[in-house]
Formats: sequence, structure tokens, C-alpha cells
Amino acid sequence: MTNEALIASLKTIVKPYVRNEEGFKNMTEHTDFLTDLQINSANLVDVILDIENEFDIEIDNESMEKMLSVKAAMEIITTKLSEK
Amino acid sequence: MTGNDIVDLASAASESHWKRKGFLEKLFTAEEQRYIRSAASPELIVWRMWTMKESAYKIYTQQHGGRFFAPQKFNCRILSTILGEVIFREHIYQTQTQCTAEYVYSIAGVKALGLNPFLNTCFTVSGHSYPATANFVYQKIIADYARATDQKKTNYTLAKDRNYVPFLYNKADRYCIPISITHHGRYAAFTIN
Repeated sequence: MTNEALIASLKTIVKPYVRNEEGFKNMTEHTDFLTDLQINSANLVDVILDIENEFDIEIDNESMEKMLSVKAAMEIITTKLSEK
Repeated sequence: MTGNDIVDLASAASESHWKRKGFLEKLFTAEEQRYIRSAASPELIVWRMWTMKESAYKIYTQQHGGRFFAPQKFNCRILSTILGEVIFREHIYQTQTQCTAEYVYSIAGVKALGLNPFLNTCFTVSGHSYPATANFVYQKIIADYARATDQKKTNYTLAKDRNYVPFLYNKADRYCIPISITHHGRYAAFTIN
């Protein structure tokens, strides 16, 4: 999966939880879920569960700890997909 | 130092589905999940424990830096309808939670030091769109703190450090005051020691 495709599918996943539309419009791999998109921290778990469902992967607690940005999410998804 | 976290119950009901598969498992320890499932009002316990964990996380990061999402590592113990404890690594935090029909609000402090913030204020926020709501919250905090310390509002500005931990900055005398801020739905709160 290309980085562009990965970012596009992450955009679809995070959209319902975004509270900063400006940050969402400009979402890149450097975007932070909490500070740039203003996603509520309780909704971060929904983002993680949605990623698990979308990519059919399991995100362990150790990976979840780092899941604060688009870049971290991309790295974790890529790693988990390669382990399948 | 005090950390805080608020959950607007109406917003939580529409934004978060705590019964969804995997939700409790990702956020809570096995023991906490048992406690939630056996509670008379499981939803209230979910948000109470969540705000306890978040407020303890905020003190930890204020004092030790770093950013991470590891709610399961913050172990909650409920001691009474108000009091609780959160244990993270070797740290023990004491918590106080206020549950109303509208919101659940927790504050946390290092257990050995007790919980006695100089200011601890909860208020309603008008409007829903970011960044207007964030500005409203910041202005309210500056106004309240300036009034409580008998200083001019213009002496203060609110900023965040590189870990996004907020602080009040006194421009005239050049010092920083650590602060904990929380905002969810119609409610916001802040604590300053």
C-alpha cells in the first residue's frame, strides 16, 4: 500500500472524530491526532479500533502507546501488515 | 501540582460507544472491567475511571514529560463515591471526582502532597466550533486567575510547552505557572496550584 493510499484511508477513519476542520483539510503524515485534529482522547481508542477493523490487524498495547500521530499510525499499520 | 479531566455525559453518549467491542479492553485493566460490568451505573464508572486516568496522566507528563497513550497502565482504585487512587509505575495519585447528572469531573494530585489547588473551577462553554471554544476557555482562565491574584489580565498569556502541556505565563515578571485544563462538550475546567 502506498503512503498516499494509507493517508487517504486514515483520513476516512478519523473524519468522524475530528474537531478541527482546518487541521483535517491540511492532514499530512506530520499531523498529530490530538493537537492538530483536536480529536478527543477518549475517541483515540475509536480511531485505533477502526484501524484494527479496516486493516484486519491487532494493535497491541505497546503500539497503541505511540499512536498519537498520522506518521506513527502509518508505521504501525505497515509493520502489522508485513507481519501477517 | 494538580491534573484534571472532565467528561460531558451528553457529548460522551453521542460521541463514544463504550459498549463497542474492544473499547473497555483497550482502556481498562481486567480488574477495572470487572468493576465496571458489575456496577449499578456502568457508564458512570467508565467515565469516572477514564477521568481519573486522564487527570493522573496529566500530572505525570507535567512532572516527567513525554507523551503516550497507555490508559491501561494507570490503575484505578475507587475508595468512595468521591475519592480514589491511580497507580502508574511507582507513582501513586490521589483523586477526587464530582459526578453530576451533566458531567463527571476528576482532579488528581501526588498522594503524598494531598489535593489542595489554589483554583479549581468548572464552567460552561458556549459554542461548539474550534478554535472559538478554545479561545473562550483560555480567556476565562486568564480572567479568573488575574482576578484571584489581583493582577491585570494583560499580564498573562496562555501557552503550551513542547509536550503540549499548558502553562500561564506572566509577561511582566516573566515566570510560568503550571496549569491543567480540560474541555469536553458544554463544560470546561482548570486547576492551578
